[in-house]
Parts: sequence; structure tokens; C-alpha cells
Amino acid sequence: MATGTDQVVGLGLVALSLIIFTYYTAWVILLPFIDSQHVIHKYFLPRAYAIAIPLAAGHLLLLFVGIFITYVMLKNQNDTKKTQ
Amino acid sequence: MAAEEASRSSPRFRREPKGRVSRQDKYSVLLPTYNERENLPFIVWLLVKSFSESGFNYEIIIIDDGSPDGTRDVAEQLEKIYGSDRILLRPREKKLGLGTAYIHGMKHATGNYIIIMDADLSHHPKFIPEFIRKQKEGNFDIVSGTRYKGNGGVYGWDLKRKIISRVANFITQILLRPGASDLTGSFRLYRKEVLQKLIGKCISKGYVFQMEMIVRARQLNYTIGEVPISFVDRVYGESKLGGNEIVSFLKGLLTLFATT
Repeated sequence: MATGTDQVVGLGLVALSLIIFTYYTAWVILLPFIDSQHVIHKYFLPRAYAIAIPLAAGHLLLLFVGIFITYVMLKNQNDTKKTQ
Repeated sequence: MAAEEASRSSPRFRREPKGRVSRQDKYSVLLPTYNERENLPFIVWLLVKSFSESGFNYEIIIIDDGSPDGTRDVAEQLEKIYGSDRILLRPREKKLGLGTAYIHGMKHATGNYIIIMDADLSHHPKFIPEFIRKQKEGNFDIVSGTRYKGNGGVYGWDLKRKIISRVANFITQILLRPGASDLTGSFRLYRKEVLQKLIGKCISKGYVFQMEMIVRARQLNYTIGEVPISFVDRVYGESKLGGNEIVSFLKGLLTLFATT
């Protein structure tokens, strides 16, 4: 069993993903069926963002992964150049 | 001491409840070592203990790659203690890699099953009888120790390492759909002919090699069983997981994805 902070972080991750999941599901699936005058729409951004935000997040992820890989490979090249 | 074990193991065969462990089954443990002078006596003792308690027939093949710390001398003394029918020394001149160590060890293996494991005490031999029972249960070609299912796990990893491991396993499961929960584990039981065939087909090195074995096994329609194990990571400070390891893992994974 994981101990201490690990458990807390784990539970935190689970809680966070549940929150994001419920919010996003409500946003994309439930809201279209709710009357546009209802007060609940105040808590959700315009639906265009439901596509834009995940797309931007995906791009950022790819960017970071790309930067990480490039950094490691360059460092590798420099190290082998130094030892030559 | 060897005679003691021989007389202790034959009555056990007759008392074996399932009755499917035939007297011809022999398990060869391949133990590639490099600078394991201190761990080797302990792991051999644990192996001998778990095999004699469970009554299976076994041999331990120590493949030392010219360790500078005298591992080979320790192995020779162990051979005198436990008998050269139980401990086989098949050393090599220098560090030549895991895959070739397995090939080399298998040439001298007289068992019909091969068990591979780490000699640095990260794998505990007490799981070996469970592997054997699992194999008999499902007549599996391969039984793999898994850290990601059941009550399997790792001791000694910090949060960052655990997350990296879980993410890596997740990506692997998505890309390769291997049908096994732990691909990079190296605590496994193989039928001898299965291991020979798989090693012949594999081309990668290091832990990607372990991954490739499972993927190729699925390709060839071998059956794989799993047993949860506890992996004890003894971090001596050298084998930290750096950016380098991560990138080579990703490279290996993508190669496997593209070629299998």
C-alpha cells in the first residue's frame, strides 16, 4: 500500500479527474438540453471553449514532450562530443 | 547437503496434491551477475530454501560477466557448498549483455523450464513456487511476475518514480495492447523451447528486450499467465531514472509499435 503523501497525491489526482470529468460531461452533454435562460449556464463558458481548451492542452502537452526529448537528445550529443 | 535435499525432495513429489507436477519437470534458474558478491550467497540460499520447501527439482546457473569484485570466487564456494548438480557456474570474460547471458545459460540448462530473475535481491525467490503453480494451473507458456496487478507492487520508489512508471505502463498498454500488465518486469518463468524461440526473434537490448519478448510471445500466440510480485528496488545511487532512460524507453516503445 502506498503511504503518507503518496496516498494524498493519489486521492487528489482521482478527485481532480472526477471533477474535470463531471464538469466536462455536464458542459457538453447536459447543457444543450437545458433551457438557455436557466441560471446554470452562468457557471459554464461558451461551448466553443469545450473544444478549444482540450485542443490547446493537447498542443501544450505535445510541445512539452517535444522540448523534453530535444533537450535530452542534445545533452546526449554534447556529452558524447565532450568525451570524444 | 545435496544428499539431504535429494531425499527431502522425492517424498514431496509423491505428496504433491495436484498430481500434475511430473517428476521430469526441472526448473533452471538463470542468474546473470555483475558485481553481486554480497548478494549472491543470500539469493542462492533463498532459492535453495524455496525450492526444497516446495519440492520442485531445480538447478541454478550463475552467469558471471567477469565481475571485478570477485563474484566468481563466491560462486565457486557456493558450488562446493550446495553441490555442482544444483549450482552451475558458466562465467564469461566480460560484460556482454542480458540477452546473450540468457542464451549462454540456456545452452547449459538441463531443465525444461527456465526462470529468469535479478540477482540483486529485487526479486524474492519465494514467488517462484507461485509461478510454478500458476503455470501448471493454466498450462501457460510464460508466467510473468507483475507489479501492476493484484497485490503486486514496488517497495522503495518515491512518488515521482511511481508516476513515471505508471504513465509509461499506461502508454505501453495503449500502444502495444500486450495482454500482460507488466512489460518491463524481468522476473519470469518460461518453457525452455519458448524462451529459445523468443530470444532468437528479439533484436532490442536492455529492458526494451523484456518488453519485446512479451510482444513477440503474443505474436506467436503463446499463453501468458501473471503472478503479482513485490519488487524491492535497492537504489544504490547509480541506477536513477534520468531523462536519458525515459527517451530511450520511448524510442524502444515506438520501435516496437512500428515493427510488431
